[in-house]
Amino acid sequence: MIKKTISWIDQRFPLTAFVKHELTGYPTPRNLSYWWNFGFLAGFVLVLQIVTGIFLAMHYKADSHLAFDSIQHIMRDVNYGWLLRYLHSTGASAFFVVIYVHMARTLYYGSYRKPRELLWWTGQLLLLLLMAISFMGYLLPWGQMSYWGAEVITNLFRATPFIGDQVVVWLRGDFSVGDETLTRFFALHFLFPFIIAGAVVIHLVALHTVRSSNPSGINLADKDNIPFHPYFTIKDMFGLGVYLIIFFIFVFFYPNTFIEAANNIPANPMQTPPHIEPEWYFLPFYAILRSVPDLVGGVVAMGLSVMIFAAMPYMDRSRIPGGARYRPWYRLLFYVFIADIFLLGYVGAQAVTPQSIILGRVASLVYFGVFLVLPFMSKVEERMLIKRGLPPAVKELLEGEKA
Amino acid sequence: MNKNHTMTVRFLLGLTLGLLPLFAAAEGAKLDETPIPTDQASIQRGAEEVITVCSGCHGLKYIKYRNLLTLGLTKDKVDGWRGSHSMDASLPPQMPGEIAKASFGVEPPDLSLMAASREGGGHYLYAYLTGYHMEDGKLSNSVFPVTRMPDVLGLSMMKDPQQRAKAEKTAKDISAFLVWAADPHAQQRKHMGYYVLAFVFVMTILLYLWKKQIWKEVDRQPKIE
Repeated sequence: MIKKTISWIDQRFPLTAFVKHELTGYPTPRNLSYWWNFGFLAGFVLVLQIVTGIFLAMHYKADSHLAFDSIQHIMRDVNYGWLLRYLHSTGASAFFVVIYVHMARTLYYGSYRKPRELLWWTGQLLLLLLMAISFMGYLLPWGQMSYWGAEVITNLFRATPFIGDQVVVWLRGDFSVGDETLTRFFALHFLFPFIIAGAVVIHLVALHTVRSSNPSGINLADKDNIPFHPYFTIKDMFGLGVYLIIFFIFVFFYPNTFIEAANNIPANPMQTPPHIEPEWYFLPFYAILRSVPDLVGGVVAMGLSVMIFAAMPYMDRSRIPGGARYRPWYRLLFYVFIADIFLLGYVGAQAVTPQSIILGRVASLVYFGVFLVLPFMSKVEERMLIKRGLPPAVKELLEGEKA
Repeated sequence: MNKNHTMTVRFLLGLTLGLLPLFAAAEGAKLDETPIPTDQASIQRGAEEVITVCSGCHGLKYIKYRNLLTLGLTKDKVDGWRGSHSMDASLPPQMPGEIAKASFGVEPPDLSLMAASREGGGHYLYAYLTGYHMEDGKLSNSVFPVTRMPDVLGLSMMKDPQQRAKAEKTAKDISAFLVWAADPHAQQRKHMGYYVLAFVFVMTILLYLWKKQIWKEVDRQPKIE
């Protein structure tokens, strides 16, 4: 009966062929480390955000007079409303953790290199969408931080040449953030998940064309590839278990870690909070913004700091396999970059003082300096490594995978 | 990971962490970290205190009389407090906002989310309530100097240690109640959390064993660098 049904479907839709191509027959390098789990985790978080988000939307009211109260209604009166909201608010932070690790893995192992440029760029697009959606979602609780965060960020669009003021009004739907802004942010916050889901499909199509990179950085021969299912489905499920343990510790025991105290005060356009601070996942970029004294310059620097990743396939000119593994200079640069991001994040959370400005400027220079040095360093390093010869283990592997 | 590699990581981590305290700005007055009680008796006493004293000026718009029953307070007691208000009414301030504003210069804020909206939560409230003292003959508060609220517990004038201890205990009870009011499902949440975590933990162990089982043949092959 089942066989008959499947064959009935297969005559009309390539079900078996699809499952074979994407799962049971999809060749995956057998040496993937657990760093390769984060793509699947990002997909899981996306689904969880969509599901909890739809249920939250059933109780939420996108009206500047009702929004704050409706959140408290969800937290107090809706059955397990607190769980829905804490899953969603913690999920937003978890999304960024997972995506940042996913990106760091790509950078460390050089997975952005040929032929995976398009895969990397669709990822860059997803990062932008994620930033947009989280920013719009943060306005919805209509607390003080929601309001003033949106006010500050929409104000940045004043930097648009010639029509800056009009663009800001167009974005807000009003001269300052208000009811119009809230309703449109809600509409877009509901729309974007589906755009993201579409972009994820494109990301996956690109992935399944070029296939996963692996820690060795060498395309492995067929003998060292294993089918995605069951090997990586079970590995991803185990990774998911570990992820859920950490995630649920936050959801059930420390859910307010990611909710700013000031956001439990209703939005008040007449009263600026003493210290406006974006969510932690924007802090490094916010620190770069603040490090440039001029608004336009700051916005350009911040935009560049996010978009510069797209240029990685061309800025990294080395052809030495294995990303940072066999490239000591690149590895050093990678760790300097990661440490610098933490430093920028710290600076972004501080009130503006002479010290924090200096520290922020130094860290911003290091941030862009890393990318500036990379094209030259990668070439010099490549020459040096070729002269010295690849490590015997790599040579052996290259020989072995030729067959 | 080779040794060289590890050293680089350690060096960088040390460098970053070492730099941080140099630039850490003073975070303002350090709050007293005395634990705020979470037992039902303290929360009940706090509820009584808030409803009979604080609600003279402050309302709790997100707490309904009905919610007080979940604290184990008797229906008679709650009925006495609500008078002609319905069970589904929010706890109102006794004094209308405009009148309070006329006498204090500012409308007394709603207390339902007070514990959640201040950095430090219950500790902040406790430090604030007990932070009143006389400074150059004038009443002052060490946590929130510009406050317009009078020293309700009278700690600024109190000398007797026994009386002070009693007032401090009341401050703790009030803080305990307000912590509950800001997040009334906290206890249920933690209770549920233990079960969820236990389940996920066992599930993860089983998934790990399953993974080992499936990968048995592959794991036997020589490792690829």
